Amino acid sequence: MTEPVCTYPGDRDEALIALLYDDGGAEASADRARFEAHVRACAACRVELDALRGIRAQLARWAPPEPKFGARANLQSNPQSNPQSALRNPRWVPAWAQAVAAVLVVGVAAGIANLDVHYDRSGLTIRTGWSSRAAAPAAQPAAAPAAADAALWKADLAALERQLRSELRPSQAANTAAAQRSSDADLVRRVRALVDDSEKRQQRELALRIAELMRDVNVQRQADLVRVDRALGLVENKVGVEVLKNRQQMNYFIRTSQR
Amino acid sequence: MTSTDEELVARSIGGDSDSFNELVLRWERPIYALAYRTIGREEDARDVCQETFLRAFRALPGFRGQAKFSSWLYRIALNLCRDWIRRERRAPIVQAPEDVDVMELAAAAEPTESIEDLVARKDLSRAVERLMALLPEEQRTAIVLKEYHGLTFQEIAELVGCPLSTVKTRLYQGLTVLRRELAKGEPKKTKATL
Repeated sequence: MTEPVCTYPGDRDEALIALLYDDGGAEASADRARFEAHVRACAACRVELDALRGIRAQLARWAPPEPKFGARANLQSNPQSNPQSALRNPRWVPAWAQAVAAVLVVGVAAGIANLDVHYDRSGLTIRTGWSSRAAAPAAQPAAAPAAADAALWKADLAALERQLRSELRPSQAANTAAAQRSSDADLVRRVRALVDDSEKRQQRELALRIAELMRDVNVQRQADLVRVDRALGLVENKVGVEVLKNRQQMNYFIRTSQR
Repeated sequence: MTSTDEELVARSIGGDSDSFNELVLRWERPIYALAYRTIGREEDARDVCQETFLRAFRALPGFRGQAKFSSWLYRIALNLCRDWIRRERRAPIVQAPEDVDVMELAAAAEPTESIEDLVARKDLSRAVERLMALLPEEQRTAIVLKEYHGLTFQEIAELVGCPLSTVKTRLYQGLTVLRRELAKGEPKKTKATL
C-alpha cells in the first residue's frame, strides 16, 4: 500500500506546527484557515498531526525531579550586602536579626532571674529574686540617717555585685557552652545527613549511567560479533572457493600429466 | 491582592528586598525546570537556577522593562545553560573519583537488580528525557520553551534571537526526531513489559 502524499503548496512544516500549538499569530489566520481546510482533505497531514499530538502527550509526562530550594528566604534579609553568600548559605542570619535575638535572650534571662535594675541619686541598684533578703533594708532609706544609709548602701551594693558575679558567671558560661555544643552537634548532624544524601544520589546516578554504558557496550558488542561472524563467513566462503579452485587445478594437472 | 511582576520589579529596584523574594518564589520553579530540561542534571540545574536569580538581582537596576521580566529571566537562565553545556563538552562525561572502582560501585548500588531490569525500570519520563538530550541544543530549547513554558513562537524567537520561522522549523524537526525515536523504542518497551 502506498503512503499518502501531501501536496500542500505552502510551508507545510511551519503550518503544521502552528496548528499543533494553536499559535499562528493574527496575521497568519488566513494561512491557518487554508491549512485547516487542507488538513481536512489530506490524510498525510492528518496522520502526522495526530502523531505529533501523541508526542506532545508523551512529552507532558516528563517532569523534572522535585527541587530542594532552601536559600531564597535569606535573600530578603540583607540582599545588598552579599546576595551570593545569602543564597549559598541557608543558615546565614543577618546582623540585625542576631542583635534582636541577643536582646530577647538578655530580656528573657533578666525576667527569669527577677532582675531589677534601678538608677537614681544614690547610684545604681541591681536586685535579683535570689538577693531579695540582702536588698530588703534598702527599701526603707527615708527612715535611717543619711550617713549610715550611704554606708549600708555601699556595703549592700558590693555584696550584691559579688553575689551577682558569682551567680551569673558560671551559669552564663555553662549556657553558652551548652548552646554552642548543641548547635555544633546539630550542624554536624545536618551536614552529615546532607553529605550522605548527596553520596547516595551520586551513587545511584553513577550506577545508572554505568548500567546505560554497559548496555550500550553490550549492544555494540553484539553488533560487532554479528559483523565479525559475517566477515568470517565471507572469508570462509572465499577460502572454500579458493580451495575448490586449487583442487580443480590439481586434478587438471594430474589428469594432464597422466596423458 | 497579588502584585504583577512589573510592580514587584519596580519595588525591588527601589530597595524592597521582600518584593524580589516574591519574584524568586514565583519564578524559581519554572527557571529550575527550564534549566533541568535543558541540561538534564538536577544539582547543576539548581545551581543554574540560583545563579540566574543572583545575576538578575545584580542586574535589576539596569532592567528597564523592554521585555517581560519572565523573558528576561529566561534569557539569563538560557545563557547560563549554554555556558554549562559548553563547559561540559570540554570536560569528560564521567569523572570517577580516584581509587574508586566504578564497576564495583555500580554492583554495590543495586546488588539484586540486573542491568536489564535496571534499564527496564525506567519509565517513559526517563525515555523522553534521554531522547531530549540527544536533540541539538536549539531544537531542545525550542521544545522546552514551547512545550513546558508555554511561550509563543514570537517570544521564543526574541529570546533565542532567531526568526520566527526558524523557531517553527526547529520545533518541527525536534518533534519529528522524537517521534521517530520513540517509535523505534516501542517494540522494545512492549517486550520489556511482558
